[in-house]
Amino acid sequence: MTKKSFTLLLSSLLTLSMLSACGGNNNKEAAATKDPGASTGTNTTATTDPAAEPEKPTEIKIMLPLNTTDTPPDTIKTEVEKITNTKLTYQFFPADTYEEKLNSSFATGSLPQVTYLKNQTTFLQMKEAIKDGQFWEIGPLLSEFPNLNKLKPEILNNTKVDGKLYTLYIGRPLARQGIIYRKDWADKLGLAAPANTEELFAMAKAFTEQDPDGNGVKDTIGLVDRNELVYGAFKTVSSWFGTPNNWAEKDGQLAPEFTFPQYIDTMDFFRKLREGGYMNQDFAATSKTDAVNTFVSGKAGLYIGGSMQDIDSLNKDLIKNVPDAVLDTHSMVAGPEGKFAQWMIPGYNNVVLFPKSAVKDEAELKQILKFFDYMMTPEVSNLMYWGIEGTHYTVVDGKAKATDNKELIEREVKGFKDSVIGEYETNGMYQSLNVLPGRIHAEELVLENVKVGVADPTAALDSATYTSKGVELQQIITDATYKYMYGQLDKAGFEKEVENWKSRGGANIIEEYNAAYTK
Amino acid sequence: MVEDRTISGRIFSAVNFTLLALIALVTVLPFVHVVAGSFTTSAELAANKFVLIPKVWSFEAYKFIFSTNTIFRALGVSIGVTLIGTLFSMFVTALMAYGLSRRDLDGRRVFNFLVVFTMLFHGGMIPTFLVVKELGLIDSYAALILPSAISAFNMIILKNFFQNIPEGLEESAKIDGCNDFGILFKIVLPLSLPAIATISLFYAVTYWNTYMSAILYLDNSAKWPIQVLLRQIVVLASGMDHSAALDGTVPPPDQTIKMAVIVVATLPILMVYPFLQKHFAKGAMLGSMKG
Amino acid sequence: MQEVTAPPRAVPEPKPKQYKSSSELKKRLWRNKLLYVMLIPGVLYFIVFKYFPMYGLIISFQDYKPYQGITGSEWVGMKHFSRLFTEPDFLNILANTLILFGMNILIYFPIPIILALMLNELRGTFFKRFFQTLVYLPHFMSWVIVVSISFVMVTMDGGIINELLAYFGFSKINFLLSPGWFRPMYILQVIWREAGWGTIIYLASIAAIDPGLYEASRMDGAGRLRQVWHITLPAIRGVIITLFILKIGSVLDLGFEHVYLLLNSMNREVAEIIDTYVYTAGLRQGQFSYSTAIGFFKSIVGLIMVMTVNKISKKIGEEGVY
Repeated sequence: MTKKSFTLLLSSLLTLSMLSACGGNNNKEAAATKDPGASTGTNTTATTDPAAEPEKPTEIKIMLPLNTTDTPPDTIKTEVEKITNTKLTYQFFPADTYEEKLNSSFATGSLPQVTYLKNQTTFLQMKEAIKDGQFWEIGPLLSEFPNLNKLKPEILNNTKVDGKLYTLYIGRPLARQGIIYRKDWADKLGLAAPANTEELFAMAKAFTEQDPDGNGVKDTIGLVDRNELVYGAFKTVSSWFGTPNNWAEKDGQLAPEFTFPQYIDTMDFFRKLREGGYMNQDFAATSKTDAVNTFVSGKAGLYIGGSMQDIDSLNKDLIKNVPDAVLDTHSMVAGPEGKFAQWMIPGYNNVVLFPKSAVKDEAELKQILKFFDYMMTPEVSNLMYWGIEGTHYTVVDGKAKATDNKELIEREVKGFKDSVIGEYETNGMYQSLNVLPGRIHAEELVLENVKVGVADPTAALDSATYTSKGVELQQIITDATYKYMYGQLDKAGFEKEVENWKSRGGANIIEEYNAAYTK
Repeated sequence: MVEDRTISGRIFSAVNFTLLALIALVTVLPFVHVVAGSFTTSAELAANKFVLIPKVWSFEAYKFIFSTNTIFRALGVSIGVTLIGTLFSMFVTALMAYGLSRRDLDGRRVFNFLVVFTMLFHGGMIPTFLVVKELGLIDSYAALILPSAISAFNMIILKNFFQNIPEGLEESAKIDGCNDFGILFKIVLPLSLPAIATISLFYAVTYWNTYMSAILYLDNSAKWPIQVLLRQIVVLASGMDHSAALDGTVPPPDQTIKMAVIVVATLPILMVYPFLQKHFAKGAMLGSMKG
Repeated sequence: MQEVTAPPRAVPEPKPKQYKSSSELKKRLWRNKLLYVMLIPGVLYFIVFKYFPMYGLIISFQDYKPYQGITGSEWVGMKHFSRLFTEPDFLNILANTLILFGMNILIYFPIPIILALMLNELRGTFFKRFFQTLVYLPHFMSWVIVVSISFVMVTMDGGIINELLAYFGFSKINFLLSPGWFRPMYILQVIWREAGWGTIIYLASIAAIDPGLYEASRMDGAGRLRQVWHITLPAIRGVIITLFILKIGSVLDLGFEHVYLLLNSMNREVAEIIDTYVYTAGLRQGQFSYSTAIGFFKSIVGLIMVMTVNKISKKIGEEGVY
């Protein structure tokens, strides 16, 4: 009897798996029969006219990281399908473990037609495979698609591999970082927004010592920072001090930022802040959530790094704890020499690739690019970024105002937000309607930032050593930087670590970047 | 059971009780914090970091997670996979463990060694993925069960328990005309209820915690078990994903939602233990022997 | 009522290994044919899902590229192993791993046993079950939660423990960033999360002890502690040794998540272990071959440890795991 039940179980499992296998085959056949008609369709009407209805919808499978709590329902997808005449299958995978999924799918040849990467690091890792010809080059085709053709050439340039374009990019403002601070505290203490790094220091000090919350207890700190040099306060402040953005020319050669004296100045700045007690003492171990919690509980006055646009979500929780708190943003902080500077990202945060293992021929590729061409129209980009007008947002003064039903947006829209290619300048989607004065200010500052923006000269350059050992080597510098700020390393000690970085592969990175730079 | 009523016995009991009560308190407080945190507002959580009793009660977090059927679907998947997986695993594990527990089985040392070997050497994610793919298990629930059907650790522990059963019992059953299957199901398993309960619990918890298999083998997110949802929310809300870039388009979910999901995803599996506990009572083995 | 026989857990008497003739072996194989049938599903499982994929270990001798596959990737011999052994921090990382493992064995390992014995000595079924349920709760909290709750308690910036220290006039302690506090914090968190869960196996083997043994010893006037020492402990010795041997195999395999969450720039000198190193140097940079080579190294060390301890346990008359 037991043996029977076991064989029964085994055979039922077998049947199950056979069933699913058959299902897969059917799909493929269906796709194959649909394909010819569809592809002839594109060849004749390669326009963005959404009225070309009678065609069979193109089937596209898309894999992308999930940055929200849950995969969104089909509400938005169905609308997009209608407009773009496609049949879309979105496969979301948690961002946290997206690399594992990406790697195993790639190694087993099971990537779908459209593959979103996770960030610039995953893009870097894919470069070798891209050079090997695993993905379609799309550069020459772009001119056939009027909307894709609008993508910013300088950013496309940053995503090129060996001078060829393989990807579409998901755009991000070049420089959103700056200060979010307690305007009410500053006003109370008679402080203006800090015009230079000295005033910034003075503000942190005053916020700590002069009881800005007026409760009679010295229980506030100036700055709250976290365990992150780049997206925490450090890099942003370092660029105010005049430190280059990752790399810059020095004696005619590209050199890394931490070999510049301004980098040391920045470390001294934070060291003094920490020693004075003007920032959280555990910042080297503080996660983003803990830093944010300190800020919204009304215990800290300055939050630097990250996006100034975060002011909305910080404000939301802060005023629950401190009802009369007022936040503002600021980013024009001059360095010791009186100059403004702002580091910039390469203009994208993620890219889309088209694997040859899934996209059979150029005709199919064009079908898919056509979908992305649609995505670059205001109609589709608004749909994917803001949702359905009237349901998820309304248009006020030519800007999008999201509905107050945050849950609805969180559920139905957010999942697609990070997949919209281009940026509002190119895809024509609405900018957001802001109410909070600090947020409106932030939007102005984001534009101001770019005027004094400093680009990373290595953004489009390649270094084999950086690709294979960069993260590991960077850790040497990160550790040394924190140790310096905590007073455990002096300047000589820090320089010794820089030498250590060089001898363990950094020298090769310098060499390789310079070779690529002069090319 | 005869109570020990001597003075030293009472002192012993009192000390023991006090110590355990303290330990239990320490272990349970953070849990109370999580439950309390799920019933308050994110602002209060940020302000009073170690909330034990909410000052402001709020059910928003639960309202949010129960506002769609996702969490019910995910719980359903997890319960189904855990039930079927545990039954299946116990069945094949018990068969193998019993076979290997018999000292008169030739080659048992080799088999045992080969099992231990798999605890140390792993082929890696990609070759295993290929096996699952070749078997046609992609996107089927079986992919959550078959690749982890037997835990070498559990098998060895169960085998250990089986070995402790006096061999005489098996001999006499054999004389009564039982074959090996009969001995296993009529004698050995009923005598090993504490062990069966333990190993079932281990399997159940493993299946309940299934995460990576789901991510790798299930492309259809409608089939994801609860852990995927749980981990996604916990990681997003904890800001501990060091590899995440500066990405401000989507602010993380509230801390309270994180707490609520932990509660919802943990309660069902916590409820398993009390049901199994009665098998840990003293003399369970002998009790069933008398019958 | 019940005849008190020898405790069920007795030192096993291995059957004689020599066979008088091959026909006797054949006879025995035939007699045990059903036992072999029972092994079939298990053996199949291990072959298909464990042994077959082990071909993947080959990539530790290659420069594996996912798109070239195992057949197409270039052979590089021992390159990745020598990279590991010549890594300037290798000895430090190895030492850190071994120290944490040592703490796991010396400090953590006995605790579930003691806890199980204490729980077993509780009088009254209700309290017994109640406490058991409570102490096993923490196992269900992920490390992310454990670490973030600890952070809130011990941070210099308003954590309860440091506030208390300050209140009583002590100076604050930088638990999170000082290398000296990393290991105590680590092992305390391990104990907190796992000790209660670890009692379950022991409680199950205690449950299998014949109550008659206790009654007999009580008649002899033995106190509670003596009973624990002379009856309970010997009865669970076998399972303790089995668990010990299995644990020894994970000597370099401490797991990545917990340590990684505690790791920061200030405590890296003591907190970087092999598994966190693999994550930064291998996985985060797509270095499949290097990661696999390090895994291979870990496995071999684990295997040597298991085989050694297993041999010792057999020498002292215990059964061992194989």
